[in-house]
Amino acid sequence: MAKDKARSPLTPAVLHILLALSTKERHGYGIMKQVKADSQGKVNMGPGTLYGSLGRMLEAGLIDESNKRVDPEMDDERRVYYKITGLGNKALAAELERYRELVTVAKQKRLLPSTLAYGV
Amino acid sequence: MACEHSIQRYRHWYAKLLRLYSKPYYERFGEGMEQTFTDVLRERAEKEIGLSGCVLWMFVETTAGVIKEHMTFIIRRHKNIIRIALAIALILLVPLLAMQFTDEVVWDLADFAVAGALLFGTGLTYELVARKMGSIAYRVAVGIALAAAFLLVWVNLAVGLIGSEDNPANLMYFGVLSVGIIGTSIARFRPRGMARALFATALAQALVPVIALIIRKPGVASMEAFTGMVGVFGVNSVFVLLFLGSAGLFRTAAGEQTPAGAEPEG
Repeated sequence: MAKDKARSPLTPAVLHILLALSTKERHGYGIMKQVKADSQGKVNMGPGTLYGSLGRMLEAGLIDESNKRVDPEMDDERRVYYKITGLGNKALAAELERYRELVTVAKQKRLLPSTLAYGV
Repeated sequence: MACEHSIQRYRHWYAKLLRLYSKPYYERFGEGMEQTFTDVLRERAEKEIGLSGCVLWMFVETTAGVIKEHMTFIIRRHKNIIRIALAIALILLVPLLAMQFTDEVVWDLADFAVAGALLFGTGLTYELVARKMGSIAYRVAVGIALAAAFLLVWVNLAVGLIGSEDNPANLMYFGVLSVGIIGTSIARFRPRGMARALFATALAQALVPVIALIIRKPGVASMEAFTGMVGVFGVNSVFVLLFLGSAGLFRTAAGEQTPAGAEPEG
């Protein structure tokens, strides 16, 4: 069952959150900033989407909560940190592998953005 | 300083918006969402970017999140009920479509409402009672009993089992259903008690045409009247058999196990 979960395709929001948490534990705002940075500003996640996805990811066992603590770079409010689980890592790896395979196929078909004539 | 005051005011409003989430969700994520909202605004304030557009966007985005979470909750909790409603909508499409092609089917709004309510009531009752089931026999028994009860009401409303739907003798069939309902409440869904309740219902069903015959004393001089009587007894016996079959299955279920959630047999 857990193996199935790890192999199922991820939504873009979940993929970005897992990617943000793959390097270190982060709180909500930290995840939001990292997602924006990883996507070069293309993905701008609001709190509704972010926490909705976090809730479903916690339920699916892809991420876990750490103890509340203060972020030394921010104010003195204690924040919940989120960390990726083993299952989350497997799901992320499987999704990235799917993307890699897709890019390989696109390359074989010469369908890379530079070769596509958009709007034609 | 003025900016921090605005941020705190926006945070206060945002906290009110977050109250629209379900209590468990709010308790789990409310504080984090409030913090994240404030963090985003502080970052913009530091960069001297206007707040109002971002505040509006986050309010709209969070409102969409509230709606989505509630919808997910409703769908998860009432998945089977939604399935029943969809199935009924599909069933009701049949007469609706038939009306477009033939004049033989003429349903008005009241017909659709009554059919929908009956079907939904039957489906909902099955869903609620089937949760208590511990065996397939119990589930099938509930299904047969409810199907028989539904058909009994439906046929009586549509054409009437005895004579026409205007024949007062047909009101006795509601007494049959009352026997089943009272028996079920006494049995409290326990299979052995349910078996007794359904046997009693079958008996009541069998007695209806006999009582009607005694009270009304219809003449059997004509062939038409005689075949009509035989027809009533024939259709009636189908319902008797359905109730008996259900009772038998409840008895089988009683021999197998006690349904989950039901109290042990006394």
